Amino acid sequence: MPDAIAVRGLAKRYGRIDALHDLTLRVAPGECLGFLGPNGAGKSTAVKLLLGLVRPTGGDGELLGRPLGDRATRRRIGYLPEIFRYPGWLSAREVLAFHARLLHLAEAPRSIDAVLDEVGLLARADDRVAAYSKGMQQRLGLAVALLGDPDLVFLDEPTSALDPLGRSDVRALIERLRARGTAVFLNSHLLGEVERVCDRVCIVDGGHVVAEGAIDALLRGAHGARVLLDDGWHHYDVTAAEIPDVVARLVAGGARVHAVEPKQISLEERFLELVRPA
Amino acid sequence: MTAFLIAGLTLRELARRRLVTAVAVLTLAIVAFTLWGTLRLAGASVHGEALPTAGLRGAAAGIVILLAFLFSFVLALGAALVAAPAMGESVANGEILTLLARPIRRADVVFGRWLGTLAALILYVAVTGGIKLAVVRFATGYLPPHPLAALAFLAGLATVVTTASIALATRLPVLAAGIVAALLFGFAWIGGILEAIGLALGNTGLADAGTVITLAFPTDALWRGALYALQPAVMTAAVTTMPAATPNPFSVAAPPPGALIAWACGWVLAVFAAGVASFRTRDL
Repeated sequence: MPDAIAVRGLAKRYGRIDALHDLTLRVAPGECLGFLGPNGAGKSTAVKLLLGLVRPTGGDGELLGRPLGDRATRRRIGYLPEIFRYPGWLSAREVLAFHARLLHLAEAPRSIDAVLDEVGLLARADDRVAAYSKGMQQRLGLAVALLGDPDLVFLDEPTSALDPLGRSDVRALIERLRARGTAVFLNSHLLGEVERVCDRVCIVDGGHVVAEGAIDALLRGAHGARVLLDDGWHHYDVTAAEIPDVVARLVAGGARVHAVEPKQISLEERFLELVRPA
Repeated sequence: MTAFLIAGLTLRELARRRLVTAVAVLTLAIVAFTLWGTLRLAGASVHGEALPTAGLRGAAAGIVILLAFLFSFVLALGAALVAAPAMGESVANGEILTLLARPIRRADVVFGRWLGTLAALILYVAVTGGIKLAVVRFATGYLPPHPLAALAFLAGLATVVTTASIALATRLPVLAAGIVAALLFGFAWIGGILEAIGLALGNTGLADAGTVITLAFPTDALWRGALYALQPAVMTAAVTTMPAATPNPFSVAAPPPGALIAWACGWVLAVFAAGVASFRTRDL
């Protein structure tokens, strides 16, 4: 099965501004990638490049094994933009019915009810969008993104307008998508959320990738380790590079090393280290 | 076909907005006023005697032309200000991102928006124009020589303005696109007057400048087509024998030549294609 996303050296320049520089990454089927960065880092540009909404000035890639911009592949992709507003004069059900027709979905009414139920909007499905709160509009956007059972879903700040209950619902939803084998590309500022649902993260700053990898690998050992002796009392904080020498010296000196524990920091701490100006 | 889906959405959008109600109320008011005025005209007397038939028909013809002239302005402004949001609003509010993430072509979006807006405007021309002509006929017994041709030319005028407004809205903000399209219509109207004055006075430079403007935005040529179709034969004969009387937008000596109508058709196709190309290459 081809990667859900595979891009090489993807870049976008607006005049002299490097909106995104040399993005190379892969997302496997069923994997959830957290795409992080401060405001203006190039996150939404990256999503739009991947979806063919913006033309790249460099690089290439594939979504679901087909070249970027391939029209037929979009049938298998869901997208929740960061900023959008559906026409207020339509109901949620009408918005979804329109998208179902664009997708040529068979059994559209059943699919529509299913996604409305999944995002918790079924009871308000026939209300005009104009009467929806921001959170409800975001839920509708999620429902549109989920329509047609996509293999790859792009969620750009999916919880920015949601209350804690809604955020919890979205986390559960992402878990369900992963369980179904749907790859998720998640842009979010809520790092705690990303840490809880994503397998890997890619951090961009100023259009450049500053870190990429599995969350565990990114966090564990980032600040070295704590060497614990078996007396349960003494310990030594060391950098990753110092670990072998320190352990060797301790053992040579007759000490009994009980454990070497990598120091764990949060994704937020690691993120701030990487993107905060020195 | 996707474009028809989008055209249907555009039509539903126009139907559900208060715009349709407002236009319907204003149209009814104008129709009622026209009915009242033309009935008063039909019942008018000079020195205690009813107006002669020829006089009544002449006055009715003048009213029809004046109504059509005002209608062409309302139509052009309406086309400019309805088409621009139809195309540009979904870009401004981000809805277009969700549409273009679907397996559709950008050209389908432009064509669908154009088609939906134009269908609404042509319906408006047919219904409103038809009712106004019927009212004048009812009150005075007068019907212009070629009413359907006149409505077709007015629909053509709406097509030109709609196409310009849609093409502009593929790049410009909604309000700017609508206003620029409306200004182009006004510019073309002035160009038509300049051309007529230049021809009447034998001033080649003025006439050529007017011709260039007419070719650049061919609404005035289409208005003259509508005018010729509405003008009674006797009025056309008078204009033809007195060319100095032509520099005004209410009478015309001849219909626009076939080549000019073909130019207008080609213009619509070219500007539409430019709009599609502009939207296809736009980063959203």
